[in-house]
Amino acid sequence: MVSGKTSVGATPSTTAPMLELHDIQATVLRPRPAPYFGTHVLLRVNDAEGGRAFLRRLTPHVASSTEWWNSANTWLSVGLSYAGLEAMGVPSDSLQSFPEAFRVGMAARAAQLRDEGVNHPRNWEAVFNSRDTHIGVSAFSDSEENHTRALAVAREQYEGFSGVSVVALQDFGAQPGDLNPLGYKDGIDQPAIEGSGVDPLPGQGPLIKAGEFILGYPGEAGIPLLMPQPEVLGRNGTYLGFRKYQSRVGAFNRFLRAHGSTEAEQELLAAKLVGRWRSGAPLTLAPDIDNPDIGADPKRNNDFNYTEDSRGFKAPLGCHIRRMNPRDTKLTRLTDVNIHRLIRRGTTYGAPYDPNALSEADDEIPRGAIFLFISAKAMATIEFLQQEWINDGNFIGAGNERDPIIGQQEEGATFTIPREPVRRRVHGIETFNVLRGGEYFFMPSLTALKWIAAPDK
Amino acid sequence: MQAQTQTATEPEINPVVEQKIQRLRELYADAPEVGKAALEKGLANIRAELSEITASGKESAGRAGARQGKVSELTAILNITKDGAKRLRGLLELTEGNFKAADIVGTLHDMRFVFLDNDTRLLFATAYDGEWDAYIDDFVTKIPTSMDLFFCNLEGWPGIHAPSIKDWLVENQITADAWYVANPNLTVAEAKRLQKIAPALEEFLDKVG
Repeated sequence: MVSGKTSVGATPSTTAPMLELHDIQATVLRPRPAPYFGTHVLLRVNDAEGGRAFLRRLTPHVASSTEWWNSANTWLSVGLSYAGLEAMGVPSDSLQSFPEAFRVGMAARAAQLRDEGVNHPRNWEAVFNSRDTHIGVSAFSDSEENHTRALAVAREQYEGFSGVSVVALQDFGAQPGDLNPLGYKDGIDQPAIEGSGVDPLPGQGPLIKAGEFILGYPGEAGIPLLMPQPEVLGRNGTYLGFRKYQSRVGAFNRFLRAHGSTEAEQELLAAKLVGRWRSGAPLTLAPDIDNPDIGADPKRNNDFNYTEDSRGFKAPLGCHIRRMNPRDTKLTRLTDVNIHRLIRRGTTYGAPYDPNALSEADDEIPRGAIFLFISAKAMATIEFLQQEWINDGNFIGAGNERDPIIGQQEEGATFTIPREPVRRRVHGIETFNVLRGGEYFFMPSLTALKWIAAPDK
Repeated sequence: MQAQTQTATEPEINPVVEQKIQRLRELYADAPEVGKAALEKGLANIRAELSEITASGKESAGRAGARQGKVSELTAILNITKDGAKRLRGLLELTEGNFKAADIVGTLHDMRFVFLDNDTRLLFATAYDGEWDAYIDDFVTKIPTSMDLFFCNLEGWPGIHAPSIKDWLVENQITADAWYVANPNLTVAEAKRLQKIAPALEEFLDKVG
């Protein structure tokens, strides 16, 4: 039985959590605080024992999901890429038990991920092509002061040791008003996980079987997903897709201004692209004008479906949030929407959103988001989303149209806004978020971290 | 205009095309007389057809099968279990040629079931949109019973919930060497949409015309 207040806006469930929360890493279930401060540190393992020794020092500081609902908190999490597991001397039969997409790494799956054109690995930051991103350590905090402390704890475990070296370090944090780099409140809609100890927020349901997100539990098909072996390594672990995006804020603002003559028109277009106003209020509940009260209320800002908006007159069928979670939208092909969901931990970095940024130079100012996509089959789900729901429109009968926010747009791309009597088709949409790199990480349980870190298995 | 006439009467010699024709002549060197005669008679047409090819029409549809544009093909010859043919025929007859389940899937252009070798083997051939690989999990949670009901009559079917299901399907798939698609960029969903739009457009034109 869970008691007390939560900081995620939900009510603790009256039934005990079914999941082994004490063994699952905190980031899997705990949303980022608001506001939030943090750093991603990517490390290379220089020798197997050095890497394991680092993990032995770090593991006692890695937080579990116990009381994950208290997100006003400070914690460290750790993930290991395939190259990292290999570098730390994990036995080869264990290595071979990981899914192929994880083994070859994100860059090698560019074709399946539709990471083409500007998003192709050849255009990535060099570190993500090096296969030197072995360990990812993330520090999350609710205040700058706590963050400094958390990061210092992490640093003490790697600085001055020859076994590991830092290959990249990226600070992140909430922007003024908790907005993302394109100026929206985000991270609102997260899947509700059965047995996690908190009742779902209104509109968050249906409850999805825990095995879709955490290894070792039954998934939506009634059986656990395949997991890395031995069981001590796989159970209570999960996968994390790390994707770093650069936001082309100038291009985004230019697009809004080119297609809306007044600020109100531009803001409506901005809302139509996402399916929510910048405040977070969904178009389904606030179709004509923004309602910031709804946007700010976790009990109301996600409490809707598309039954009354089947043709997309309020929230366009192709808008970002409807693509990422079609809810009850009638899709053109047989689809189980519950098995293509991801837990998202968006971490914003760089300069804040600037509504007056209009130049091409503004497109290159470092600012964007590093997304952590978490699921027990993250590789398959990210590939599915990239192929079907982000870089195609067939599933909603929208032909070749792509996700207006995170799609990689081709020359002549359009965005359709359903209207009576005829739809409006907006031309000139560009790639507003460019992929700068990424990798797949395995996020082991605390028990598995000890197993990996042990000198001999 | 003049240039066009010239092209029609005196086609440019394309070395790639001539190489292909030379290869065809070699292959037909020991063909029956009627075949050799047909090759010589049809050469002008063949040359013209080959000249029009600008890009390869062959692409892979994921792990197995061919793809053209947005349409993929899946061909499999599967061994039928003892008495499986009886059940399979029964299932196919029940539907009297209607496939509601296929309609639900939403991506199938066609499906063909042919019993071979005294009902011991089944030829299954289909054209469908995209890749099945991405959607196999959706079949598992949405239509597991329909899948098991049909495929249990085929040797080696691991059951819809078996993790090896993708491998079983791929192992049994034979990629087509050649395959023709009239509308490679028209998905089932897009064709349905156009079918709805066409009458509305005619109606609109009637009003303004």
